[in-house]
Amino acid sequence: MPADIEMLYDEHAQALFAFLLNFTRDENDTRDVLQEIFIKLARQPDLLHVARDERAFLIRLAHNAAIDLMRRRVTRAKHQEQFGAEKLNAFAETTDPDEAAFREELAAALGELPSDQRAVVHLKLWEGLTFEQIAEALEIPLNTAASRYRYGLDKLRARLRPLYEEIK
Amino acid sequence: MNGDDQFEQRLQRQPLREMPSAWREEILSAAHKTESSHHRSPERLAAQKRGEGGWRARFWPHPTAWGALAAVWLVILGLHFTAHETTINNFARHSAPPSREMRELLREQERLFAELVGPIEKPDADRPRGVAPRSQRRETFLNA
Repeated sequence: MPADIEMLYDEHAQALFAFLLNFTRDENDTRDVLQEIFIKLARQPDLLHVARDERAFLIRLAHNAAIDLMRRRVTRAKHQEQFGAEKLNAFAETTDPDEAAFREELAAALGELPSDQRAVVHLKLWEGLTFEQIAEALEIPLNTAASRYRYGLDKLRARLRPLYEEIK
Repeated sequence: MNGDDQFEQRLQRQPLREMPSAWREEILSAAHKTESSHHRSPERLAAQKRGEGGWRARFWPHPTAWGALAAVWLVILGLHFTAHETTINNFARHSAPPSREMRELLREQERLFAELVGPIEKPDADRPRGVAPRSQRRETFLNA
């Protein structure tokens, strides 16, 4: 069983990390949630037996755990601390100044999106999931997934268009 | 290819940050620690001894087969209840009150029968017997 956990980690942890980092906008939260997921998998090794799509199932676990974390934090702190407030770059560093500026701007624009739109945009653009898979992973209707993507992308386009046109 | 598609592709090409490599050991060791303590917990061992928790492992490998079996049982139950309802409906149809013509025919037959045979005397068994008071009944029993 330990080998299974390691195999699962090597196969999915990077994707879960990127999703959680983009969703929570906090590296510590990302780590906590990631650890929580792998502890859960170690405790319940048969958890994945019911999953049709392993990646979608793990993203659903990650999404639910991140939302639980947000709720706990809001209750504890008694103030509306939302994911996304922190300025965090979820993209790789680059030496190209134009690319660096675009990635920074993109990260900021993503941070301004509501977290539910951000989750869909991330899964569609960087995870390459279909709307059907996204709907399954986030437990939302297919049309909702599609519309959240469209709204999110429109906002990114509006925000990034000047820079995009300049460095295109 | 329009500008919107190009914009989407430009976003897709942005490489995401790599996960810190030190996390692997930290997260996996935390998972293994929990795993071993969980597997060794007295409650879990006791449950394993009792055979609890094994039902899922026994039944889960063939969910389609179990689903099909459940569906067959549902069909059987459905047929059973449909047949039962049909029998009741048939019975109700057959025991429906006779029509007006039938009633008149029966009355006519009864009248003819009465003319032929004369008034029918009720047998003794049908006549109401005078019931003795309870105290007398006891006396009769004691005298017997």
